[in-house]
Amino acid sequence: MLVQYGLGAMLWPAAVVVAAQPANTPADETAISAAPGTLDQPPASMFTFGGFGTLGVVHSDLPLADFTASPFESVGAGHTHAWSPAVDSLLGAQVSANFTDRLSAVLQVMAEQNADSSFSPHVEWANIKYQFTPDLSVRVGRTALGVFLVNDMSNIGFAYPWVRPPIEVYNLVAVTNNDGIGFSYRIAAAGGSNTIDGSVGYADYDYAIPNSHATGTAHATQQFTLVDTYQRGSATFRLTYGQAHLTIPTFDPLFDAFREFGPQGVGIADRYEVDDRLIAFYGLSASYEPGDWFAMAEWGRVNTHSVLGETTGWYVSSGYRFGVVTPYTTYAQVRPNSGTRDPGLDLSALPPSLAAPAAALNAGLNASLATVASQRTVSLGARFDVRRNVDIKLQWDRTNLGANSQGWLTNLQPGFRPGSSLTLVTINLDFVF
Amino acid sequence: MTLSSRIAAAVLALGATLTGAEAGADVVAVVSAKSDIKTLTASQVADIFLGRVSHFPNGVLAVPIDLSDGSPERDQFYIKIAGKTPAQVKAYWSKIIFTGRGQPPKAVLTDLDVKKIISMNTAAIGYIDAALLDDSVRAL
Repeated sequence: MLVQYGLGAMLWPAAVVVAAQPANTPADETAISAAPGTLDQPPASMFTFGGFGTLGVVHSDLPLADFTASPFESVGAGHTHAWSPAVDSLLGAQVSANFTDRLSAVLQVMAEQNADSSFSPHVEWANIKYQFTPDLSVRVGRTALGVFLVNDMSNIGFAYPWVRPPIEVYNLVAVTNNDGIGFSYRIAAAGGSNTIDGSVGYADYDYAIPNSHATGTAHATQQFTLVDTYQRGSATFRLTYGQAHLTIPTFDPLFDAFREFGPQGVGIADRYEVDDRLIAFYGLSASYEPGDWFAMAEWGRVNTHSVLGETTGWYVSSGYRFGVVTPYTTYAQVRPNSGTRDPGLDLSALPPSLAAPAAALNAGLNASLATVASQRTVSLGARFDVRRNVDIKLQWDRTNLGANSQGWLTNLQPGFRPGSSLTLVTINLDFVF
Repeated sequence: MTLSSRIAAAVLALGATLTGAEAGADVVAVVSAKSDIKTLTASQVADIFLGRVSHFPNGVLAVPIDLSDGSPERDQFYIKIAGKTPAQVKAYWSKIIFTGRGQPPKAVLTDLDVKKIISMNTAAIGYIDAALLDDSVRAL
């Protein structure tokens, strides 16, 4: 009813006043008389539709590699496109259904660059929620995995200040969903509110194998997260622990081959293979957003106990709003805590006929270790709120890759030097409806 | 009256209307006159309207009644209680809606509707133009 009235009101200026008036009156009465009922009953329509999107382009001055926004993208800015629309652009639509005031469901479908560089849509989340009390709910299905402050909403550019969340932290746990069950429990605490979110489940996802234009599938099972969020006024603090058992079959041929080389090869395979490997994640976040300005800082560490390494990332970001313009700056970095090189098999102990394949395996292992990211980025940008549901953002990033590191870059070309630098310029338009 | 002076007068009148809508009206948070709630801080009101708490400080369930997006009273209210511009309020709810965590408060069309609901329900909390205050509701 409210929606119908709203449409009527929007059309009203274009319509003949006399004709519009009788149409408005009954709707108005219905709205008033129905409104008290909304306090304890579902609204007239149980369905709510909405959507969001980003249209943007990124330019990289480094043509010898591609910059991408996540490991799930196969092409980006630099080598594939000088100005890439494929890095940040996406479109999402959502329908929510409130069956009763306790039982609801949500379905969100999104189109963004997939690991195979297509834009075919996928179900981002689909779950059923039961609200036991106003402060305790349980969700079953595919839900958002909210380990950092904005990673469950990293697709909704309109919801945060930057063109994209700092990848130095957000790529540590790039998975944004969980197929399983989760709960959320909120209590009043120390003048604010404390919310505990827990989930168990699994996730299967396709990712872009670095430098290959091929896709691999990762399986995360026994996925478990516990997130504690304390909010008081404009301040938010979050502590996260997460773990999963990760299997990436793409690595199997490499480590199966190592196992053919006796105890030393078996030792290398046991140390690095990604087969049901326990990965653990710790995160710490703080933000203060009183309205005219914001300051945010997040820190995360992920240990994969595998060739994917152990890394720590953090960022600090702050901005000030002048009317509709919010300039901001961010510093972010990610560093490996584990070694990114390994001598591999001892070639001198092998007969010449085996030394060549062993050298190839060592090279393969070190190529994978080199993808453990090390980089730091300084960003300057501004968000312009052009309408109440549309913004335009402009951001400049300067990224320095760590010594011997390719950072988060992919599709490396001959002549690419590890440890080099690049400058990105991004222009994005975000909207919600 | 020449055409140009009539246009000038119309522009002035329009300007006055816009100013009145944006800054002239004073919006106040209200509960039912029968409610036990006597006073709330701006931050307590903000917590209720932003869905951060579900109950009044005295433990009674709180049901916020919003005005629909785009109403000047709504814009003024969120600036006043939370320092949030209309775009910031939109961004805030986008986070919650599109992560499937919740929905914004029920919204009605006018603050007369708000007053009518508030006066009939002790759990409800809303905001209206101060000029509409009467003994059916209590300003916080």
